[in-house]
Amino acid sequence: MRSRLDQLFENTSRSLARRSSRRSVLATLGGVLTGAALLPLLPVDRAGRAQAAESKGGKAVGPESCQYWKYCAVDGFLCSCCGGTSSSCPPGTDPSPITWVGTCQNPGDGRDYMVSYNDCCGKASCGNCECNRNEREKPAYRPSRNNDLNWCMANANSSYHCSTAVILGVAEKAS
Amino acid sequence: MRALPVFCATSLALTQLAYAAGPPPPVPVEHLTVEKMPPRGPHWVYVLDEAFDNEIDARVIPFDGDSNRRLGQIDAGFNPGFNLSPDGNTTVVSTTYFARGGHGARTDVVEFTDNSNLTVKHEVILPSKRAMTGPSLFNVAYSDDAHLLYAAYITPAASFGVIDALHYRMLGEIDTAGCVMTIPGTGYRVSSICENGRLLTVTLDAQGKETGRSMSEPFFNADTDPVFVQGIAGSSAHKYIFLSFLGQVHQVDFNGAQPVFAPAWSLVSPAEQGKWRPGGTQMGAVHRGLNRLYVQMHQGGEGSHKEGGSEIWVFDLASHKRIARWPVHAHGGIAPIQALQVTQDNAPLLFAATDAADLAVLDARSGQIKHVEKHLGQTPWMLLTP
Repeated sequence: MRSRLDQLFENTSRSLARRSSRRSVLATLGGVLTGAALLPLLPVDRAGRAQAAESKGGKAVGPESCQYWKYCAVDGFLCSCCGGTSSSCPPGTDPSPITWVGTCQNPGDGRDYMVSYNDCCGKASCGNCECNRNEREKPAYRPSRNNDLNWCMANANSSYHCSTAVILGVAEKAS
Repeated sequence: MRALPVFCATSLALTQLAYAAGPPPPVPVEHLTVEKMPPRGPHWVYVLDEAFDNEIDARVIPFDGDSNRRLGQIDAGFNPGFNLSPDGNTTVVSTTYFARGGHGARTDVVEFTDNSNLTVKHEVILPSKRAMTGPSLFNVAYSDDAHLLYAAYITPAASFGVIDALHYRMLGEIDTAGCVMTIPGTGYRVSSICENGRLLTVTLDAQGKETGRSMSEPFFNADTDPVFVQGIAGSSAHKYIFLSFLGQVHQVDFNGAQPVFAPAWSLVSPAEQGKWRPGGTQMGAVHRGLNRLYVQMHQGGEGSHKEGGSEIWVFDLASHKRIARWPVHAHGGIAPIQALQVTQDNAPLLFAATDAADLAVLDARSGQIKHVEKHLGQTPWMLLTP
């Protein structure tokens, strides 16, 4: 089930696309996503981080496991296993200013969170902890929901190194 | 233990006898040469290894399904697009190189490799806009007459580059209003897939200039059941099959001014719906003579659309009936299948690239596995037969 925030983001993007030129859409989208990437940690982010581990089959998993809840739609190498964390890039790499977003449910609090899957760029692929989960992921004709695209594409150094999963906010379910 | 002295004595006697007859001739002197490519065989396949673990080093590996030999290698850079010319004589790779391996100045380029000797004969530098995404038939594609070549761009704004593939020069760029990829139609028509389920078709002249464009009716719903962008070459030229995540079959004919959509049908029965799905990186293949569609299928739910197939299902394209189901993964069989391709001859081979990076060679009529080539690269994600 897609969250309301998920739907809102898509509707807003489509509305912008209908109303604006391609260049202005990109400028707006880029601004939104860049801003999203640079947002300070939200209170809800900390709440999410408090669920540093979840239980799968009785075994706790953390951010170095593909089963960690924030990675529900990632396809790539986990930066947590490459010298970074789930919300920071490894030393010497550059975060991608543009990205795509997914929505994952934190089993610790039952909330749906919007997650920004920024790539870390500028070095050859990390090659460690490949994680291929694709919940609600869509093909490239819907780029805001696509993880096959190299989101380092607009970086000065556009080689892909690894993927983060940065919490942007929470969407409460309709009561 | 007493046998040992007897054995040693016997060996010594034999050696003395051999030297009595003169020492063996020395191994002949060798001269280093370069192997020539053999004439193209009916069962060749070109395997794109994305080399995902060190993605700047993708390659295309020609492989002969008769001799089960690798024939050589074509370098493919970072996150490449890949295709063959209509006559099969040229491999075209649209890719990116960084000046210093994993970093440094970015160069986007299309490279044309002569398949008769696997050397790069020509290149055309692209603007730094190339679609860096998974491979498909539509990342880079030729016109019918091999005059124009279309290279998909995503920055993430969508457009495509037009290249004169006879004179190896850029002709221009066509904006596609958010629609992606380059599906070649007859003449100089190019269609792109749009988020609203429609196809944008742009018509070009021989100089690569746009002369018209039109938008089709929607043929899928990206919210409820999106189609894979990895279309399958269909039953004749310029017909492609687009599978949906849930297993709907959309056959589209690009032979006219507008795409024509055949009524959609399903790979799965009502009981299988939502349980069995297509998935992977290249969703299937069609043998034109047999009029058969081969699709790798897996059991899975939402988000499983990149999982490899545990079975190959075979469909008759005329009746839409499933005529075979080959459980190739079961009972210690091959790893789940990411990509499928079939040769078009009368004794066709079906090639299956797996999650274990193996290339299985099957009889396309019986499903019998004839050979498994282990570790043909790291991540073989797309296969083409000339």
